[in-house]
Amino acid sequence: MSDVFFLAEFAAGAPVHSAQELASGAAELARPAGGSAVGLAYGEGATDGAAGLGSWGAARVLVLGEGKAPAITYAAALASAVRDGGVALLAPATPNGRDLAAAAVGLLGVPAFGPARAVRFEDGRLRAEASTLQGAWVTVSEPTDGASAPAVILLLAGTFTPQAGSGEAAVEPVDADGGPLAEAHIVESHAEGKAAVNLEEAQVIVAGGRGVGSEQGFAQLQELAGALGGAVGASRAAADAGWVPYQLQIGQTGKVVKPALYLAAGISGAIQHRVGMQTAENVVAINKDPDAPIGEFADLFVVGDLFAIVPKLTDEIRRRKGA
Amino acid sequence: MKIVVCVKQVPATTAQKHYTSDLRLDRTSAESVINPLDEYAIEQALRLQEAGTVESVAYLSMGPDQAVEALRRALAMGGDEAYLVTDGALAGADAWATARVLAAALDKLAPDVALMGMASDDAKGSLVPGAVAAVRGLPLLSYGSELRLEDSVARIRRLNATGYDIIEAPLPVVASVTDQVGEPRYASLKGIMAAKRKPLETWSLEDVGIDADDLHGAALTRVIEVRPPEAKAPTERIENVPAEEAATRIVDWLSARKLI
Repeated sequence: MSDVFFLAEFAAGAPVHSAQELASGAAELARPAGGSAVGLAYGEGATDGAAGLGSWGAARVLVLGEGKAPAITYAAALASAVRDGGVALLAPATPNGRDLAAAAVGLLGVPAFGPARAVRFEDGRLRAEASTLQGAWVTVSEPTDGASAPAVILLLAGTFTPQAGSGEAAVEPVDADGGPLAEAHIVESHAEGKAAVNLEEAQVIVAGGRGVGSEQGFAQLQELAGALGGAVGASRAAADAGWVPYQLQIGQTGKVVKPALYLAAGISGAIQHRVGMQTAENVVAINKDPDAPIGEFADLFVVGDLFAIVPKLTDEIRRRKGA
Repeated sequence: MKIVVCVKQVPATTAQKHYTSDLRLDRTSAESVINPLDEYAIEQALRLQEAGTVESVAYLSMGPDQAVEALRRALAMGGDEAYLVTDGALAGADAWATARVLAAALDKLAPDVALMGMASDDAKGSLVPGAVAAVRGLPLLSYGSELRLEDSVARIRRLNATGYDIIEAPLPVVASVTDQVGEPRYASLKGIMAAKRKPLETWSLEDVGIDADDLHGAALTRVIEVRPPEAKAPTERIENVPAEEAATRIVDWLSARKLI
């Protein structure tokens, strides 16, 4: 079987961005060998939304489970769905995606790769490319001889571009006993403020760090992000200081993003932050410290006072967009 | 109640890192430390012990002989005893093999909570906690910003899209925590001295009941190529100009790349 599975998480009735990305990625990967993209849907709205994944490239979708529950509780259904056939299972490199990928590794004894920035078939073998040791090296890996399928690949957001088309996927339920991994359950759910923009989807991110200084400082970044049509992100220092919620944190212990433009204001560029944004296509940094580490890997490094530059930058962008 | 914290020794963030001729990370030449995110798991375990919720805190590592250094450092922070699974057959172990071995050692130690950091600095897959839970057939509570224990259940606080959830599972569990649990303590001089007298046991694969032949050469994955990243264009700098000019030049730069 040359089918390629992908995890398709649903939240609040709709597939999350990674589900669309991975559907298109799986279709692209499966096509040359005559296989299809097979979705593994779970979460709130998975049952009703499963067929719609067809428009992103899925030929079939197996529904692992419906409702609001920790993703790991669908592990037994996942294992049962992929046990017979399929060369690869694409999972988003998000906490939920990693938990399910890990469970597949433990339950099925299959190889796992990533977080990868590319995956392909070469000489009939699956190969995954990853950036390792804080970006110092690129490695290419493959399953060892005799390793069971499917190979699990964690993929960073932005690895594939969703290709919108038409069509409906054939939908099948998966019947599986939940097992011990299904024993974790949500006992309380707390909302704090409005839903944060999904940073993994944003094509433009304006991120602030310690240098932004306050919650009010972030209001200026919000203005700039608005002018650019982007979203606001933050370093761990800014989230720890309480200026923004942790949902906006970018870095090793926050989100990993790959926007077309990453504009960092008042962020020094410590390695822990860098691993969250190093695959951004264009990095612009504004920092008053001419020796800030971010100056070594930004594409454009502006040494100066962000409080003086950011408002003028916002005005100038609005002026040119209006022109 | 008993917690076993899994600890990985990794090359220091600032250390020069190399791959060996067989494309494995050279773990002998670089300065090594406790994986920084594991220190948060240690901190969480020690706080629960100080609060009287947990009686004993032990550490478990899998790695080469010198990983005892990481375990001694963990013991210097606190806790009672440590175990290292080390075996020549484990060189180059991947997430699957690591999970198998840790799961076997944890079965032997039978803690109420097997606690881990949310990711390692070197591999970055965050796969081991979930894979260990799957191999052991126990619930997983992952990415907790806090771990709480009661008579027969464990609860974590975990971020969701707009706030947080409290997720609960019956003990025993496998759990992982984030860097939001609280800053890890430093080892005191007294702690470092005390650590030297704490029990530290070394186990082979056979000791944890795994036949090396079942481990598929310790990996289901292999690295076939290692190369430096593509060279990128040098950074352009704008400095010593008034804010207005800086803003104009940034917009010109963005505009030239069709980013606005």
